[in-house]
Amino acid sequence: MLGDSSKAQEVFHTTLREAANRAAQGELPKESFWLFRDARWRCLEATKTDLQPEALKLDEHDVTPQAAAQIEQLKPTQLAVWISGAPDPQRTALALFYLDEFDYNEILDLAELKLSELSRFLARGRRQLQAWLDAKHPEQGTV
Amino acid sequence: MRMLRLLRRQRALLNCAPISQDRLADRTMRAAVSRADDSDEFVNQQSFDRAVAALVRLIPIPPETAEWFSERDLVVGSKWTWKKMARNPAVLAISIAVVVIAGVSVFQVLSRLNDFPGSATARKLLTVAASTRPVMLDPVSTEAGTLSDLFFMKHGLEHYDVPTEFADFRTIGCRVFEDEESRRIAQIWLAEKRMQLFLFPAERNAKTGAVLPFPGWRYVHQEGWTGAVTERSGVCFMATVRGPEKDLEPYLSKATGK
Repeated sequence: MLGDSSKAQEVFHTTLREAANRAAQGELPKESFWLFRDARWRCLEATKTDLQPEALKLDEHDVTPQAAAQIEQLKPTQLAVWISGAPDPQRTALALFYLDEFDYNEILDLAELKLSELSRFLARGRRQLQAWLDAKHPEQGTV
Repeated sequence: MRMLRLLRRQRALLNCAPISQDRLADRTMRAAVSRADDSDEFVNQQSFDRAVAALVRLIPIPPETAEWFSERDLVVGSKWTWKKMARNPAVLAISIAVVVIAGVSVFQVLSRLNDFPGSATARKLLTVAASTRPVMLDPVSTEAGTLSDLFFMKHGLEHYDVPTEFADFRTIGCRVFEDEESRRIAQIWLAEKRMQLFLFPAERNAKTGAVLPFPGWRYVHQEGWTGAVTERSGVCFMATVRGPEKDLEPYLSKATGK
């Protein structure tokens, strides 16, 4: 979500500290995933003051069978930075989806999205990532 | 138009198809995935997603943060629990249906347990007792035990004897009538607690014609009335009272004592 481990750590600890305080006062919300929702809003808050990516129209390519091999060549931090550069709520959708800890209903609940929106963000994210991969490793792509 | 909407929804579900098979809990998602399982596009998408997810797992987490997740599930709440399963509408509906069926079955078994030959007639006569008014009977003021002779002499009814435990009570009236199966029923009204006595033919085996006997006193209940029934010499005797069993018990225990 943030593309910066020190910021992520700060948000994580703030979220936990706040949760511990609320637990001590017996004010923990009954809704599921409130902690994740809380963490998400803190992440968005934390990036509000950052330099914002330019609103560019990114290239989009169809996902190819070679994509998996192209992705393997990426460094994990490169992917983290790429996802954190996406505009929200696409960034939230991609981060929660590829965390592979939630099913789609839970992501819809957490990110406050409709199914059509989540579908659009994920499909566009894949196509944009494929275009980026093709640009980075043109020898393996189909373009 | 509806087809188009369905296809669009299916496409949307496929775009959100889970990376791990164990997240295929949703039925509509399972159906959409199974339909698209063989398409090249979906196969490419799945291998793409798996590769990205594998890379995401390699994103370094600061040690101070990582230690929070050691041996802990990231999402504990999404697991199935008995409580969650019990709240499922389908499980709830089935449970209620099973409870209702079980209740009806238990009720029927319990009512069968109390059944005895002639219990159906006895229940009908309780309804008769509830609707009878004194003016409907011939006024007779005597001891109940002496009416056996009247039933035999006037109506030709053999063995229509009032048991000794009720024989000494004063009567207000009596009558003999036929029920819908043309069986002759004797009805006696007592002054004692406005009790009503019935004498009617005992149930017989349909093939052999033999009387179906049963031992001792049996209780029947209908519309707030209680009857105590016994069978002697092919004739059933029933003492009825408006109220619970305990109102009749003293008379029967007195008989047992004798």
